[in-house]
Amino acid sequence: MPGELHAICGENGAGKSTLMKILSGVIGDYEGELFVSGNKVQFHGTRDAESAGISIIHQELNLVEQLSIAANIFLGREIRNSLGLRSDRAMELAAKGLLSQLETEIDPSAPAGSLRVGDQQLVEIAKALSLNSQILIMDEPTSALTESEVARLYRVIARLRERGTTILYISHKMEEVFKLSNRITVLRDGCFIRTLETSETNATEITKWMVGREIESLELGIGTTPGRLLLEVKNVSLAWPGHARGYRLKEVSFKLRGGEVLGIAGLMGAGRTELMECLFGAAELPVEGEMLLEGKPYRPSHPSDACQAGIGLVTEDRKRLGIFPAMNVGQNISVCSLDATIRAGLLNRKVEQNASSSMVGKLQVKTTSLLSAITSLSGGNQQKCIVARWLLTNPKILLLDDPTRGVDVGAKSELYRLIRGLCMEGLGVIVTSSELPELLTLSDRILVLSEGRMAAEFSRENATQEKIMHAATRGWTA
Amino acid sequence: MKNHRQGLLAKLGIRPNEIALIVAIIAIIGITLGLDANRSYWFQWDTNSIEIGRQTALLGIFALGAMMVIVSGGIDLSSGSMIAFSGTVIACSMIYLQNGPMSDYLFPVSVDVSGKSVRVDMANAGIFVQTLVVMVSIGMGLVSGFFVGTLHAWLITSVRLPPFVATLSTLVGLRSMARILCEYTTSNYQGSKKAQVNIDHPFFTWLRDSKHVYLWVAVFLVLAAFTWLILSRTVLGRHIYALGGNEQAARLSGIRTDRLKWFAYVFSAMTASLASVFYLANEGVCAPVNQGRGHELNAIAAAVVGGCSLQGGIGTVTGTLLGAMFLRIVIDSVSKIIKSGADIWEGLIVGIVVVLAVTFSQLQQLRGSGRRLFPGLLGACAMVTLSLFAGLIAMSTWGEKPAAMTMVSVLIALVVYGFTEKHKARG
Repeated sequence: MPGELHAICGENGAGKSTLMKILSGVIGDYEGELFVSGNKVQFHGTRDAESAGISIIHQELNLVEQLSIAANIFLGREIRNSLGLRSDRAMELAAKGLLSQLETEIDPSAPAGSLRVGDQQLVEIAKALSLNSQILIMDEPTSALTESEVARLYRVIARLRERGTTILYISHKMEEVFKLSNRITVLRDGCFIRTLETSETNATEITKWMVGREIESLELGIGTTPGRLLLEVKNVSLAWPGHARGYRLKEVSFKLRGGEVLGIAGLMGAGRTELMECLFGAAELPVEGEMLLEGKPYRPSHPSDACQAGIGLVTEDRKRLGIFPAMNVGQNISVCSLDATIRAGLLNRKVEQNASSSMVGKLQVKTTSLLSAITSLSGGNQQKCIVARWLLTNPKILLLDDPTRGVDVGAKSELYRLIRGLCMEGLGVIVTSSELPELLTLSDRILVLSEGRMAAEFSRENATQEKIMHAATRGWTA
Repeated sequence: MKNHRQGLLAKLGIRPNEIALIVAIIAIIGITLGLDANRSYWFQWDTNSIEIGRQTALLGIFALGAMMVIVSGGIDLSSGSMIAFSGTVIACSMIYLQNGPMSDYLFPVSVDVSGKSVRVDMANAGIFVQTLVVMVSIGMGLVSGFFVGTLHAWLITSVRLPPFVATLSTLVGLRSMARILCEYTTSNYQGSKKAQVNIDHPFFTWLRDSKHVYLWVAVFLVLAAFTWLILSRTVLGRHIYALGGNEQAARLSGIRTDRLKWFAYVFSAMTASLASVFYLANEGVCAPVNQGRGHELNAIAAAVVGGCSLQGGIGTVTGTLLGAMFLRIVIDSVSKIIKSGADIWEGLIVGIVVVLAVTFSQLQQLRGSGRRLFPGLLGACAMVTLSLFAGLIAMSTWGEKPAAMTMVSVLIALVVYGFTEKHKARG
């Protein structure tokens, strides 16, 4: 129905993304029939779908990183001037107009690769706007957005609906599904389960249909007593040459004890990922300041230093920085701990497989075998494999950069329990997240970053979403 | 059923494309037996096997190096020039040891019966001196490989040049360098400037003897076994696959990617150095101008035919071994069938084989996706191009009239195929 927002719910692997790929013409090879405005259609590519008025915003963004933002928006439909030559100016101008509708002021001539995930997504939405689509499919659009960006997105969605655009909205977040949708369709294991009127249902019911079983609401408890001091960070700064601010991080200090989960909150560009990179020795520039690991000076110059010191990092962007697509599940899990599988100077496959399969069991990774392609797994299970990869190295500290991005509800609570369990064993965990409730559930303490500086620190008892948001948005006038 | 079969093959460590290569090799031998008037694969199977073994070893040794770099996600375009450079280093080392300051110790001057003082030459120098000279020289060649590989790794990881640019510059540069070295050494230690040097050391003449080809093949197979061990049984090898598959993820998994690249490029350059020893023996001459010229592409072709992905992260030793063998057998069989002037066909054959092999491996995907081989205007122009080439080939073999006929019939066949394809895509 025009102007409707129809939400699609389901656990990872339920077939939501596959359905969306069919609707948007990415997959042309399916059974059954498709009707748009009463006409039967068959798409052989995204072009076909676009001309029928269907656009999609993928969960994993598809931008040409080297091209400018304007060029990405008009990719394949470049504006030409009267001479038939490509007109970059006209496109940049049009792009600017579209972006301003999205309440953002990113420079349309900047390369798309220079943007962080949140802004890249806005570029994708701008692209769909420029197509004037009748139907817009959004695959977990808020999974990488900060709270303020989410609010901005909601406003954009409202505006689109006023114009009569129908939106198919895939999401794991019940809150936003109920806030936005008219109707909700639940999928499970590739099958249609049912469609419900939003006004006649509630989150518990939907979740029940999704998983086919009741999930007890998550109360992990505090239970853990902080152990010995693991990591001490004193006045860590990271320069940002060529930027108005001049630094990505400025004088960040904190302590991490064993058995403790330290949450790091902050808006996009606040320096959460950069802080992780500093701790992991993956920063592009030398890190200023002092870090002490178990009392000893710690200056990692390469991620391998961090590994040796007992620190692991689960990266933010799974597809780009996490998985090895050409390798199988077992190899993806064992890649960091291969030294432990050496027998007589050579890799011992049996030892390797045992280690991997013990992790597959422990984390309940849903895979047919260790030899399956990692790309055949759903996002949540891929993420579990990467956590498994680091657990095999027996780390003292585990850094989790937005670990549940694109992970379904069931897998999320499993990951939460897992993280808690690891703390019980004395591990120190630092976790960032774009979802505040997640941080509040997981963390013993929450550190708030704002524009590269430490804005506030809350204990578990004192922290509320409002307080954190307040600290994160306060800004700095240096 | 299909899954079961794939499982069995995977257990044996053999991939579908490797089976296809074995089948193709057997098929080509069969075809050649049918078309070759001399039936030389049957009646002179021994000399033929020796020749193919020699040629396969010659190509395969540095194809393994090319594969290592390709699997790590890079490319080494320099191996042909590296062969020339290393060969020149070996030849010049021998000249230097014979005529340089050390020669008085190695090749003492004696007075012969007629009272003239004569210097002992290489042939009469005794086995110890001969071995010493050849060992030191080959050692120098391998060391030059190490340094060139290091240069590549430095250019790529520290200067941050793309591998294509870094090794393209050494492809051009090293051959020049080899010629400079050759001219310098010959003019200073042999009296006159020469563009090439004859290799008359007894070791190389011994190695050239067809009785000793087993050694060529043995060196190749030992190197292949060594490479296989590294790639599939060591941490280093697994990390190379990881690096090729996703460099960023590899770095963030605590893998020292720069060191891996260093290893891969040094390995590649040193296999080229090793190959240069056999090039010197094979040709009996060190000719920096054209030795190994263009052969880097044969090595890359062997790796690609053998199933390596140029994106990195995928490739096997078995595949490369079969790929090298397949290329050599195709080239050999064409020379058997055509008889004279077969060498001018080599490039064409390598080109066609690479296209066919890669197309073959993607045919299933192409069919499954419902995409057409000859879509629209591009497809029509491609049809014309293909029939023009077919006509060109036919012209050189049968003359102009049959060429025109070939051209037209190929075009008709392609057009018919194009229409059925279009029809299928619609239906």
